[in-house]
Amino acid sequence: MALSPRVATPSSEFRHTMQNLLSAYFPIAVFIVIAAGVSAAMLGGSLLAGRQKPYAEKNSAYECGFDAFDDARRRFDVRFYLVAILFIIFDLEVAFLFPWAISLGRIGLFGFWSMLGFLGVLTVGFIYEWRKGALDWE
Amino acid sequence: MITQITFYLFATILVLCAGMVVSARNPVHAVLFLILGFFNAAGLFLIAGAEFLAMILVIVYVGAVAVLFLFVVMMLDVNFNQLREGLQRYAPVGAAIGVALLAELIFTVGRLKLVPGVQEPTLPGPQISNTEALGRLIYTDYVLLFQACGLVLLVAMIGAIVLTLRDRPSARRQNISLQHARLPADTMEMMQLEVGAGTDALGGFIRPRDGYGATAEPIDARALPARRSDEKLGA
Repeated sequence: MALSPRVATPSSEFRHTMQNLLSAYFPIAVFIVIAAGVSAAMLGGSLLAGRQKPYAEKNSAYECGFDAFDDARRRFDVRFYLVAILFIIFDLEVAFLFPWAISLGRIGLFGFWSMLGFLGVLTVGFIYEWRKGALDWE
Repeated sequence: MITQITFYLFATILVLCAGMVVSARNPVHAVLFLILGFFNAAGLFLIAGAEFLAMILVIVYVGAVAVLFLFVVMMLDVNFNQLREGLQRYAPVGAAIGVALLAELIFTVGRLKLVPGVQEPTLPGPQISNTEALGRLIYTDYVLLFQACGLVLLVAMIGAIVLTLRDRPSARRQNISLQHARLPADTMEMMQLEVGAGTDALGGFIRPRDGYGATAEPIDARALPARRSDEKLGA
């Protein structure tokens, strides 16, 4: 176990790159500021301009004219969960496609076929889930 | 200067969010704080120059994993006060995991080396982006690991289906081609009614005539209760 004495000191070149990188994301910061402003204006506007006279009956839980029958926290069908898991798996599959698409010109035919093998394996799973009826709704 | 400010902004919010995830009383709020934490971690990745990781964090973790967490929290019929009672019992395990993570952090920050001969990671350089550097390596140099990833995803897919999918004999499955082939005349009927005459007085009728189940196919017809097509409403 050796403790190397070097402390992380980013070089000036690295720091320069960071500045460029952050300025590349400046439009996103502008979008975030505008979105925050618009949503704050909508919420604050209704808070300020709306007439608010709350009382106990108005604030109570309401379900088609009845009091709420029971707690909303109850067991759902596990089928929703299955849909979410299948979505995550295909989401991850797509995540692998981005670097592949960018570097396809450099990695040649081998990289191309390695991705096709990957997609083939997942297609087997896709056919399985299709034939099994996991995508059908009842 | 700007880099430092953004770093401390993201890092502060991230740490605060992490604290709220643990301490929030309402588990749904805890998951929402987790999502905010994911966003700030993505910001930290951006500052560190790992823009691919940042985007994947947003797409996969915020878009999918956090939604799954929300599902679990909202679906399970768990009494969260009961869960809290086990805190004393599970505290040692949690503390052990925390100590392990802390040790790993110290090793990383202090650049301690447990295994000799491990090279320092090299930055790809400013002229090639992070995503492209990954792409050049994953599909060629690490092709076996990449294919193993595919197999892991396949196992996850099949495992999820095997664990959660079960046939319900009484369930009726959608038949989309039947639904598409349905004509308005099959379901709609224009009637001339006397003024003041109600459906009860006319003997009642059922809409649509063959029921809404006509375009769904039963998996096992014998398991279904026999349907009476001449069933009348208001009888």
